[in-house]
Amino acid sequence: MTDAMLLAEALGDVLYTGAIGLILLGLYAMVVPRHLVRIVLGLLLVQSGVNLFLVAVGYRPEAAAPILLGGQAIGPVVDPLPQALVLTAIVIGVGVLALALALVVRVKDVHGTLDSREVAERMAAETGDSRLMPETAPGRGAAVPAREMLEDRS
Amino acid sequence: MSLLDLLLLLSLLTTLYLYAFGNHRNAGHLGMVVYAVATGLVIAMAGPLADGTGAVGSTFAPVMLGHVLSWSMDGLGWFFALLTTGAAFFASWYMSGEWNAEQPNKRIQHGTLALNVFCMLLLLSSGDLLSLFIGWEFVSWAAFLMMTQLGSHAARAAFRYMLYALAGAMAVFAAILIVKAQIGSFAFADLRAAVPALSDGLKWLLFGLFGLGFGVKMAIVPFHLWQAPAYSFTPGASSAFLNAVSARMGLFAILLVLGKLIGFATLSDLALPLIPMDAKTLLMWVAAITMVVPTFIALMQTDARMLLTWHGIGQGGYMLLGVLVATPLGTAAGLMHVLNYASYQMALVLAVFAVIHRTGTADLDELGGLIKRMPFTYLALLMGIIGLAGLPPMNGFVSKWMIYKSLLDTQQPLLLIAAFVGTLGTILSVYKLIHNIFLGQLRAEHQKVGEAPGSMLAPMLILAGIGFATGFFPGLALGVVDVAQAALGVELLPHGLGGVYLATGSLNMIWVVGIMIGAIGFGAFVFYVIGNRRYGVHQFDNYAGGHFLSADIRYHFSHEFYPGLARLIGPWYRGSVVNMENGLMIGLKTAGDLWHGAFRIAYTPFYLLVALAIGLWWAGLDGGF
Amino acid sequence: MIGTAHQIVLPVVLPLLAAFLLPLVGRLHVWPARLLGQIVGVLHLAVVAYLWTLVGGGETIVSALGGFAPPLGIVLYADRLSVLFLLVLSVGILLFWPRREHGGTRADTLTLLLLGGGSGLVLSGDLFNIFVFYEIVAVASYGLAASGGNAAGFGAALRYLLLSALGSALALLGIALVYGAAGTLNLADLSVLAPERLSGPMGLAAFLLLVLGFGVKAELFPVNTWVPEVYTAAPTRVTAILAGVVSKLSMVVILRLLVLIFADPGAQTLLLVLGLAGVIAGELAAFRAPDLNRTFAFSSIAQLGLVAVAFSIPDDLGIAAGIAVAVHHAVVKPGLFVIAGHWTGPIERLGGAARVSRPAAIAFVLLSLSIIGIPPFPGFWVKLLLLGEAFAAVDPVYALAGAVILAATVVEAAYLFRAAALMWEPPEGDNRPPAAFPLARLAPTLVLTLLILLAMGAVSPLGEALEAMAAEVGDAAIYVGNVLPGRI
Repeated sequence: MTDAMLLAEALGDVLYTGAIGLILLGLYAMVVPRHLVRIVLGLLLVQSGVNLFLVAVGYRPEAAAPILLGGQAIGPVVDPLPQALVLTAIVIGVGVLALALALVVRVKDVHGTLDSREVAERMAAETGDSRLMPETAPGRGAAVPAREMLEDRS
Repeated sequence: MSLLDLLLLLSLLTTLYLYAFGNHRNAGHLGMVVYAVATGLVIAMAGPLADGTGAVGSTFAPVMLGHVLSWSMDGLGWFFALLTTGAAFFASWYMSGEWNAEQPNKRIQHGTLALNVFCMLLLLSSGDLLSLFIGWEFVSWAAFLMMTQLGSHAARAAFRYMLYALAGAMAVFAAILIVKAQIGSFAFADLRAAVPALSDGLKWLLFGLFGLGFGVKMAIVPFHLWQAPAYSFTPGASSAFLNAVSARMGLFAILLVLGKLIGFATLSDLALPLIPMDAKTLLMWVAAITMVVPTFIALMQTDARMLLTWHGIGQGGYMLLGVLVATPLGTAAGLMHVLNYASYQMALVLAVFAVIHRTGTADLDELGGLIKRMPFTYLALLMGIIGLAGLPPMNGFVSKWMIYKSLLDTQQPLLLIAAFVGTLGTILSVYKLIHNIFLGQLRAEHQKVGEAPGSMLAPMLILAGIGFATGFFPGLALGVVDVAQAALGVELLPHGLGGVYLATGSLNMIWVVGIMIGAIGFGAFVFYVIGNRRYGVHQFDNYAGGHFLSADIRYHFSHEFYPGLARLIGPWYRGSVVNMENGLMIGLKTAGDLWHGAFRIAYTPFYLLVALAIGLWWAGLDGGF
Repeated sequence: MIGTAHQIVLPVVLPLLAAFLLPLVGRLHVWPARLLGQIVGVLHLAVVAYLWTLVGGGETIVSALGGFAPPLGIVLYADRLSVLFLLVLSVGILLFWPRREHGGTRADTLTLLLLGGGSGLVLSGDLFNIFVFYEIVAVASYGLAASGGNAAGFGAALRYLLLSALGSALALLGIALVYGAAGTLNLADLSVLAPERLSGPMGLAAFLLLVLGFGVKAELFPVNTWVPEVYTAAPTRVTAILAGVVSKLSMVVILRLLVLIFADPGAQTLLLVLGLAGVIAGELAAFRAPDLNRTFAFSSIAQLGLVAVAFSIPDDLGIAAGIAVAVHHAVVKPGLFVIAGHWTGPIERLGGAARVSRPAAIAFVLLSLSIIGIPPFPGFWVKLLLLGEAFAAVDPVYALAGAVILAATVVEAAYLFRAAALMWEPPEGDNRPPAAFPLARLAPTLVLTLLILLAMGAVSPLGEALEAMAAEVGDAAIYVGNVLPGRI
């Protein structure tokens, strides 16, 4: 086994490790921080990690890029399919990311904050009350017959 | 088209008609006619059923998902069908006159009554386990509709009933599906044939699930809490109908599935591990507890309806105990008690609702002295409570005597004592009922109260009359009981018009009642003819301790009746079953709140990560990493 | 018989094409654009109905896109299952076509995207292609979820997006694992290779990733935390589509994966556990939900849990039960969401609803009865099928699952009938009864209720059709034989 092959195999391992590392980093960023833009960036990291992983799946040591000229294979080539998939995935990822950022902007507009927990609290406050019942003023009539239904012990 | 088809079609059409046009003045009369015809149809079916093996089939047999649903009525179903249509007849009679005119929701009252009759007939004629379950659900929901019609308290009680009933139904569903999975069929005959080969564990499971499911409907302790309020808050004749018939559907199902298909003999072979008791004895003790505890709870009630409905629970215990004895005498006793109870309980509930109709209240602390105002209602109620307490000359005595006798014959003294204790409680509490309503001081606000109208008096008096007639001539009822007993495969009980013939001591009610009437006649002769001169006094013309009492002085002792006894049994009343129900509900709510909260507050990808981590760990474990 | 007709491309291509045309037309004038959208919706339904006539007898249509033969080329595969869910999708979207917003056609465009993407999702026979269509559906549903224009809608849509996109990334990771192990993404090809290359922990891990990824839309536990928020904040019609239709499409994908690639006890247990957890979590949370919208959102989670439990039963009849639960839910729940969308606010305020709008209250009761599973409503037969299978399964753990489902049914009845009973009560205190229901708004519910009542009379034929369908779906050899005729 040549040094070059060893190097190439090591490169494969590095690729996998890097991909998993990116995913874990992204997951951390999605779960722990509360800033919405950071969370979106975490998503970006996860996507990049997954894409890298996908490319790594198609990687072969000492193989050339899969560019075939005149239908002639010139020695081993890396698997071209994952690369095609990754291209698609990247495009989708960019689209989703753009949409996410657009929504972040709207959320900042309407809720006035980028803190995910605050947004959640505001949403709960908004949807928890009567949203479309203009006839009944909120907070009036503290009667709770539905609960009593289950508590009646005659 | 068989007679059964005709019967089911008739009651279905009645239901539809009464739901649409039940507001009409004559809806009650129409109902009477229909239920009379239906009763006639049921009686006409008796012929082929009498030998115990026959059945009247239905030509309606839809195939659903590969299962053929079949309906056919055997002697057992016939017995309960007769009860159902008969009770509906009297209920409809009660609703036909003045009562009907004053009800805001006539259509619903008539419609739900017809619907209940239809659903019950469907259940009683079920020909396989799947149609049994469907009928069971129908009956539960029809009863729910009937109970919920007044809204508010009634709706709450009905809701509680619905939860109990549905939990029971789900237990039955599980049992039926287990049967299907084990023996591959819903047919009654297949279950019956397969039972001996089932393992003990499976038999216990089926016993538990069926017992629980059907027991909820019968309101056996500890699943009894729903019944009294649910029946009490149902209006008038509907309540009487529910009292007389509804809970009996549970008894029917227990008899059919546990008695006929699985077999009480199989149950008595199922031994409990640590204590010397088998499944059947366990159920008998449950029945005994059901006899005693609700009866004493009834004693504490201050609402006449609640008092009666709590008794209804206890009386169900007598029936179950009787049929579980499973000797010819015990089975006949349990089944006869079903008929007897229906006659006097209906009379009682109708009488109490007649009082409510006239006075506007059922509060036993607010009534009194109505005997002169509503003498016939008093008579019906008096006859009813004599039956309920199980005293001669009413029919309640006959069936209770037979239950005591069967327990004695099978040497079960402890259960016998329980039955006596239950009867003692009944006697005490029915006295409270009649005393607080009819005896003692008449309230000033009830001076103008008149007798209940004829349309309400007639059914209750006739029902009380039936109670007396079948007490005088128990053979009348025992002939009907024979059909069900034959269908159950239990040996028939030798009986004549006056009572039962037994080697260990017979009962002849003609003698008992004859002697009783003679003795009372003699007493009356002594009292009225030979005795001192009597003075008739007006109800308000009263004296206590030598003082003249006017109408505005309250001396009618009705508040806190039986204070000593109440102190003694008070702790039962605030009993652990209520706490159990509360605890269950609180537990459910807490669990619900936990999940609900989990959905609300947490940051979402977190769960995904946790699931992923657990899943990957498990995948590695499972795959042998 | 195998047809190779290319009509099955139409349900995907037509809406997608129209979706790109729509904004252009919309620039000229709004109403022709909206009209165009709806015409395409109707056309889609017509094509699907035509497809049903082709596959209804048990035939399948396989179409290799661009003429590249599988396993290298991408195939679309139409059997009765896919066309059935195409039908559900098409009818659902037509019934709940978004309302006209202020001058725009964005919602119409997104709906068309959803229609096209959803069609591709159920038809596609290639794992990566499924992923792409799943993303199209996802993006469309994010947009639709936010289309109400209310503040909560944006927040809910964002959180939905974050969770769903993370799920998609994980699904893609799962696809990478599958590809790494098997070297192909064609479902039929994978089905042949799976026993050899995808058994063991690697396969299970891939399945876990795929289920968690696709499970986001299928409302699977535990990746369904977006459900109550979005269903409360999104416009009613969008909620109806998401809960009724889109969740089922993802479930179909999971079913295909389970049957074709991961047909081993590990994967089934995984799905069973997730499904059962969903049932428990959903019903208990619904029991304490403050308003109808959330109640139905949680109840939806529980119903999808039932579907997962049914699919996890290793038997064709389990699949039949799962499809039955899914279709039943797709009919019932949108109808209920329409009611919830009008009668918002605390459940305690429902007093008097029956007096204000009797048809709505009655429809509520009927649909509730069906969803609880009370005979003779279709829901009962669905539950009978499901529970019968659960109790008959060899593994006793399924009987336990059946018992849990039965217990959950009681809880379900409790919260549904608490609301139903309240509707017949007078309003509490000073409260006014809820707003009256305009008949036009209630119309979809009435249509669906009618459908349920009609289905009551056709239980047996429907059941037989389902069983035939399940037998076809449950047999991986049929799929492989149709797509790769030479391989088996």
